[in-house]
Amino acid sequence: MGSTDETAPILSGTLDLLILKTLSAGAFHGYGIAQHIKRLSREALKIEEGSLYPALQRMLVKGWITAESKKSPTGREARYYKLTAAGRKQLGQEEADFKRSIAATVRVLKLSDA
Amino acid sequence: MTPREFILRLRSWVQRDRLSRDLSAELDAHVDLVARDLEHEGMPSSEARAAARRQIGNTTALREESRDAWGFPALDHFLQDLRYAFRGLLHAPGFTATVIITLGLGIGANAAMFAVIDRLMFRPFPYMKDPGAVHRVYLQTTINGRRNANATIPYTRYLDLVGSAQSFSQHAAVSEWRLGVGVGENTRIQKVAGVSASFFTFFDLRGLEGRLFTDVEDQRPLGSMVALLTHEYWQSELGKRPVLNTQLRVGKFDYTVIGILPPGFVGTVQGRPPHIFIPITTVPANLNPWQRDIYATSYNWDWVEVIVRRKDAVPVAAANAELTHGYIRSRTAARAQNPRVLPDSIAHPVAMAAPLRNGAGPAPGPESRVLLWVSGVAAIVLLIACANVANIMLARVLRRRREIAVRLALGVSRSRLLGQFAIEALLLALVGVAVGLAFAQWGGSSIRALLLPDGSTFDLGTDWRTIGVASACAVVAALLSTIGPAVLAARSNLTSSLKSGGRGGSHRRSALQTSLLVTQGALSVTLLVGAGLFVRSLNRVRDVSLGFDVSRVIDVYPDFRDANLESGLESATLKRLLDAAQQIPGTEGAARANTALFQTSIARLRVAGIDSVEQLGRFNFDVVSPGYFDVVRTRILRGRGFQATDVPGSPRVAVVSQAMARALWPGREALGQCMEVSWEPAANIPFEPCTTVVGIAEDAAFQGVRDEQRFVYYLNVDQFATRWAPLILVRLAGEPTASEIERVRSALQRVMPGDGLVILRKLQDVVNDQTRSWRLGTTLFVALGGLAVVVAAIGLYGVIGYTIAQRMHELGMRIALGAQSADILRLVLRQGVGFASAGVVAGLALALIAGPWIEPLLYKQSSRDPLVIVTVCLVMLGTGIAASIAPALRAVRADPNRALRVD
Repeated sequence: MGSTDETAPILSGTLDLLILKTLSAGAFHGYGIAQHIKRLSREALKIEEGSLYPALQRMLVKGWITAESKKSPTGREARYYKLTAAGRKQLGQEEADFKRSIAATVRVLKLSDA
Repeated sequence: MTPREFILRLRSWVQRDRLSRDLSAELDAHVDLVARDLEHEGMPSSEARAAARRQIGNTTALREESRDAWGFPALDHFLQDLRYAFRGLLHAPGFTATVIITLGLGIGANAAMFAVIDRLMFRPFPYMKDPGAVHRVYLQTTINGRRNANATIPYTRYLDLVGSAQSFSQHAAVSEWRLGVGVGENTRIQKVAGVSASFFTFFDLRGLEGRLFTDVEDQRPLGSMVALLTHEYWQSELGKRPVLNTQLRVGKFDYTVIGILPPGFVGTVQGRPPHIFIPITTVPANLNPWQRDIYATSYNWDWVEVIVRRKDAVPVAAANAELTHGYIRSRTAARAQNPRVLPDSIAHPVAMAAPLRNGAGPAPGPESRVLLWVSGVAAIVLLIACANVANIMLARVLRRRREIAVRLALGVSRSRLLGQFAIEALLLALVGVAVGLAFAQWGGSSIRALLLPDGSTFDLGTDWRTIGVASACAVVAALLSTIGPAVLAARSNLTSSLKSGGRGGSHRRSALQTSLLVTQGALSVTLLVGAGLFVRSLNRVRDVSLGFDVSRVIDVYPDFRDANLESGLESATLKRLLDAAQQIPGTEGAARANTALFQTSIARLRVAGIDSVEQLGRFNFDVVSPGYFDVVRTRILRGRGFQATDVPGSPRVAVVSQAMARALWPGREALGQCMEVSWEPAANIPFEPCTTVVGIAEDAAFQGVRDEQRFVYYLNVDQFATRWAPLILVRLAGEPTASEIERVRSALQRVMPGDGLVILRKLQDVVNDQTRSWRLGTTLFVALGGLAVVVAAIGLYGVIGYTIAQRMHELGMRIALGAQSADILRLVLRQGVGFASAGVVAGLALALIAGPWIEPLLYKQSSRDPLVIVTVCLVMLGTGIAASIAPALRAVRADPNRALRVD
């Protein structure tokens, strides 16, 4: 399954950043997080369940997010994830790191093309 | 991992089952949501669910990965392996039981030996501050190459040694006695320690009730009558009643109880601890009024031991040098009193600060040396057990080759496989420790009876030092015995193992297996040879004629306990005691003697025609009453014993041992010869008039079981000393049971005046003490040698049984082709005997090499005893046959039909 024009691979290390950013907008369940990222990336980024749930468990253990069982609008029980203060700090850190890294990478690419 | 993350991980690890359920529920919900969306897009509901499942993929892998986040993957793996190992062991109960029992025996032998040696040599004394810096002082002389170290010295010498010494921050003198404690009917003989006031500064005695005694109370020549009691004595003998500032009769004096020592305090004594501590300066007067003052100035009484605390900055060598210097000065001072103190150029005096435990010091006694040997033996038994376990493991690995190959093929990493082997081994070791400690506790009680003085505790369940050592032994043993098989398993060739199927291919023995078997056999043979030598040696000791027989003799020591005994009362009482002893029903006679068994005395002796009698050897004397020779069963070979007609006025007579007669009057008639005797050591005091030899007695071993020279002469108590010969020897008609002894005691106790009491002892105990090291060596060597053979036999049986099982197909073929039962039997037995013979050859070589080192522990026994060697060979070959008989019979029953049908 190669990447087509519509889809893009998730850069390594950015899954946590995407999840944290999503949760900064509010509480989501796992499916919701995947849908949210899919929607905002205009269907380009597709989160695999096989990576999403282990990533959520890791972040729970690191204390960046918390989980809570709540009724979803459709009336069934679901686990909603929420950002913690530590998670918010982590998000700021990762976002800044990512932007700096991308900017630097782009610079290198540009200069090399020239 | 940050601490915060660690805590979160720990929490999720603890809750991992709940988390796992939550995750499952969450994934189900996820599938539902995906399916609902798919339905919205128009997919039929039955297909939608399946498609949703497909999309989410392998939930097991997903869950595994999440699990890693919840805690400690390594720990999870470990627990998983542990469960796996546990199940595996439960499924093979025969294997598990054999390994555990084998390891248990090996570990148990070592735990028991360590527990004993630790108590005798290493364990610090309770409450002692910084025990590493505390030493016992030994004085050593080397005369004509014979080294003699001694920790018991005169008090005067103690003062000389420590008086100006700069190497030590603390020093104290200690002396132990058995004294009558209490008054009247309640008098009991108790162990009493006389100690310097400084003795207690070696300890941290915060639990003390009352107070300790002070330097002022321990002043020379006579200290204050104050006493400290142990907590145990106060509890058991005095019922914990308030005793501070009350009076307690100890020996001849009344002491004021000033303190109760904290529970478990034993001082620096090994064995049964003393119950009462008194100032050491009150001891001499308590024992003998005339010693009240002179102990502090004279050098002719060895009675105190010295302990010192070395200063941090002073190395042991420097302390020894200073002590030696003091010792030489002290000898010079002693020489001024007694010119017979040997010059330093002959005696080569050395003093040293040695370990506090006697067993670890320079004069450890034969028991300690035997013990060190036996602990080596115990280590060998453990080695044999390891070899055995390795062999069993190997067989198991070979049997599981296919399973292991399958697991490797399925992607289990080799390191994980090795880890699983190690975990299995550790699990076995853990159970082995428990079994071993149980064995040690059970078997150790008999060792303790032989070795540890009564009263020492031997509870291995709470003995953390022993448990630690046993665990270390177990872990090392388990790893040693698993490494080989595990490496073999991990290296196994996948394809060939998978292809060959259940039949396991060839029956070729691995070289490892063979060498392990031969090693076991060789070590067992070595131990058996050792055991045989000790048995022979003990038999020789038992066969030695001591020149007396005290198996039914009791010695009675009257302790007058009266500081102001009027003269004449003592000798009159001794006479009355002798009369009373002769009249007790059930006794065969009684006599007086001067020296207790194996504690000899010498006097100055002059015989016409010999320049210096002393140069010929040590001539011991005893002062006895006429009945003596009958009581101890020493035969008069020629002439006569003492008679009622030998009285103070008549000519003085003596009986001499045959060896002495030969030494002093070689080739001449000894009867009728004249000996001059003097009690005074100083050369200027004249000899007493002639003492005529009237009898030749059989040679008596006065100096102990090993006494070779046996120069002994006997003088008549009626002619020589009325005050001497304080011992009454009583010969019983029957065995000296406790009730018989009590009967004698109560009869003689009635004769004692005032607070005096009689102290009784079985003389056979004194003889047994001397043969203890041989009995100990024999018992332990035989026990451990037997153990080794049993373990080796189990190993041999296991391996032969295994190879037979592997060869069933081949044996069946042989039978089908016409082999007779006898042929098959011979085939298998030859294998067992072959292993045993290889072990015998290697083992005998080892035993011959090690032999010379063990000879000093034996009694007149060469380490190359043909009888022992032949016996051991036969035992080993017999073991080889016995171990292969059952497998051989199984082999004979091999079914040719099955063998033919398989192919």
